[in-house]
Amino acid sequence: MGLIAASHATPGPADGDADAVESEPDARFTFANERTFLAWTRTALAFVVAGLGVVQLLPPFPGVPWGRHVLGVPLIVIGAVIAVTSYSQWVRSQQALRRGQPLPRSVLPRILAIAITAMAIVSAVVLLVSAVLKPR
Amino acid sequence: MNPDPEESDPGLARERTNMAWTRTAISFAALGAAILKDHLVPGLIVLALGLATWILSRLLPGTFGATGARPRQLLLVTVAVTAVAAVALGVALTART
Repeated sequence: MGLIAASHATPGPADGDADAVESEPDARFTFANERTFLAWTRTALAFVVAGLGVVQLLPPFPGVPWGRHVLGVPLIVIGAVIAVTSYSQWVRSQQALRRGQPLPRSVLPRILAIAITAMAIVSAVVLLVSAVLKPR
Repeated sequence: MNPDPEESDPGLARERTNMAWTRTAISFAALGAAILKDHLVPGLIVLALGLATWILSRLLPGTFGATGARPRQLLLVTVAVTAVAAVALGVALTART
């Protein structure tokens, strides 16, 4: 059971890379790439769920009528961005695997970190504004 | 005469991938149930997408036979998630402040 199952090697100068020879990568790598895509898909769905939950299930913030939308709408948009990006990431990784090249760096962790940081800051601001404006 | 699972499914990669598909389908269904609370039809559609994801994972080429990339199926899932996000956005924006 060889690690690289180069069954049907096909020369594939897909986009300008004339030296790239493509071959079917080991099934384990293909499966692992697919699982990574699916994990990001679930992350994207979790963002959509969170955004919808904020808008639909939370009681309104006192004094901040737009608070739930400011939190929920970006969460849903981030979910869509992660879904689309994870697919293009899967395509690039699969291509690198086929060509035996190093895997491209993923932008998804950065998107995730920035998104969560930004949402934490926005949440803190909404809560603070609500606490200040709350009718007492 | 037990066949070695390492022979038919090295690293149990196929089984783990099938389970990942199942988790993804469940995530769809959970989102559908959350939407169902206030919006019957969109909720049912997303629930159906969960079922569709599960069926898709069973029908995938390579699930029980030869392996290989399946870009079309993954693109389908991406389109579904993006569509769900668009519906959720519509629901969120039309909700009363």
